[in-house]
Amino acid sequence: MMIELKKVSKTFPGSDRPSVDQVSFRVNQGNICVLLGPSGCGKTTILRMINRLEEPSSGEIIVNGENITGVDPPILRRSIGYVIQQIGLLPHRTIEQNIALVPELLGWSTSRTMKRVRELLEMMGLNPEEVARKYPYQLSGGQMQRVGVARAMAADPPIMLMDEPFGAVDPIVRIRLQDEFLSLQQRLGKTICFVTHDINEAIKMGDYLIIFNQGRLVQMGHPIDVLISPADDFVLSLIGDDRGVKILDLTKSEALMEPAGEIPGDLIESGCVVQSIQPVKAALEVMMKKNSDQVGIFRGDQAIGLLSWDRIKKHVNRVSG
Amino acid sequence: MNFITFIQNNSGLVLEYTLNHVSLVLTVLVLSLGLWIFTGLIISRYDRVAGTVISLSNILFCIPSVSLFGLFMTVPGLGLGRRTAVLVLVIYAMMPLVRSVYLGVKSVDASVVEAGRGMGMTLSQILFKIRIPMAWPMIFAGIRVSVVLITGIATMATFIGEKNLGRLIHQGITRGDADMIIAGAIIVSLMALVLDYLMGKVQKKVISPGLRFKAEG
Repeated sequence: MMIELKKVSKTFPGSDRPSVDQVSFRVNQGNICVLLGPSGCGKTTILRMINRLEEPSSGEIIVNGENITGVDPPILRRSIGYVIQQIGLLPHRTIEQNIALVPELLGWSTSRTMKRVRELLEMMGLNPEEVARKYPYQLSGGQMQRVGVARAMAADPPIMLMDEPFGAVDPIVRIRLQDEFLSLQQRLGKTICFVTHDINEAIKMGDYLIIFNQGRLVQMGHPIDVLISPADDFVLSLIGDDRGVKILDLTKSEALMEPAGEIPGDLIESGCVVQSIQPVKAALEVMMKKNSDQVGIFRGDQAIGLLSWDRIKKHVNRVSG
Repeated sequence: MNFITFIQNNSGLVLEYTLNHVSLVLTVLVLSLGLWIFTGLIISRYDRVAGTVISLSNILFCIPSVSLFGLFMTVPGLGLGRRTAVLVLVIYAMMPLVRSVYLGVKSVDASVVEAGRGMGMTLSQILFKIRIPMAWPMIFAGIRVSVVLITGIATMATFIGEKNLGRLIHQGITRGDADMIIAGAIIVSLMALVLDYLMGKVQKKVISPGLRFKAEG
């Protein structure tokens, strides 16, 4: 299940400049592909063309090997999960009726739908007994966002389109929702197009980043590659002056360590150690807490190396030039 | 409280007028609801005609009722009586009903419609499962206004031969009989209140509790 755009352009009537200009990219199965850029860069329009809420002026969009212009829009949309920032829960329907919307359109039996609704509520960390029969206005912002995601996943679509899905909640709830969604995604392996203007969210959520400016695709690649070698000044300003520090969040400790079979006893005694797959940022945190210039790296119970303050500094200097 | 004595002394007549009045109002109500809710829904799909239709309903609403009854009475095939009365009252119900249906359907939160489209609802599914249920509070406001309005204006149909409570008021005026006028006016007012109360009951049943906080708040 993958999504492919081939030279897709979109010019809205009455506009002399294309909102989306000759964009081609591909989203691989099971990946979260983040479309990143400032507002008005065309990222939302691209997302809306994938489920035919907008029609491209030119170019082709292929979903799962099939050109989507051949699929009736409502039928296509029922097979693609869609989450928007405003959530758009139906205020006159209860939470379970909201989540049951797509199964209802697909003609599922009531018992199958109800079972699925309960399953989804539990999956999203909501108590079915408590919220199923409530109306949207009775929920908190974070709960509504969860219901929005649950509703999009109701018929278990292999593809999800998410337009700033965690944009309407406060930062603390947002981080929790992001973490929960990532661990959910590890199990479900959906193919996801995720739109955001928040670079931190993009780096955190994305397996792959695609950066847009004024309708044009300016760079795509893995988050770490984009951070290490931004394509131009625009990308550089988008990712910020602290990209060296952001990289530390994406780099595993083992990637920077000096291999060593033994770790000084005082490090182990004071607990100044991290696991090899933990990000360098976590190692840095431990070093600061323990007031140490180096930290021991373990893989499971096995000591495998040492990471020193000097090596981290050199790495940051190298990547942020 | 002499009007009570008046009602007691003329109970047969008052009852006949009241029943005539109720049956006229209910006939008009049923026809208007069908016709104007349908019209409101249609014009919500065609923005170009919507302005014209709503302006027309405003203009019709501004015509004094006595003259409209009189005018239609002269049309061949209508004449004196129920047919003309129903037609004119249906015209007066147009403005509050068409307008409330149109505005109700149009003012539905765009993000809810967007979510519905994005999940694969067809246009008619969006109309029946999103727009109309969400428009009910506003539609009911229009229905209740038109019920009270019809009940009141129906009194004027007495001039074209309707034997309803308007006749008590009209004859009370020509005879200078205050009790007769008060009797007619009070029964009409009570009727309007009762019908409005009943519509309120229906409204509670139809409007989703999820929207009620908005309707009441």
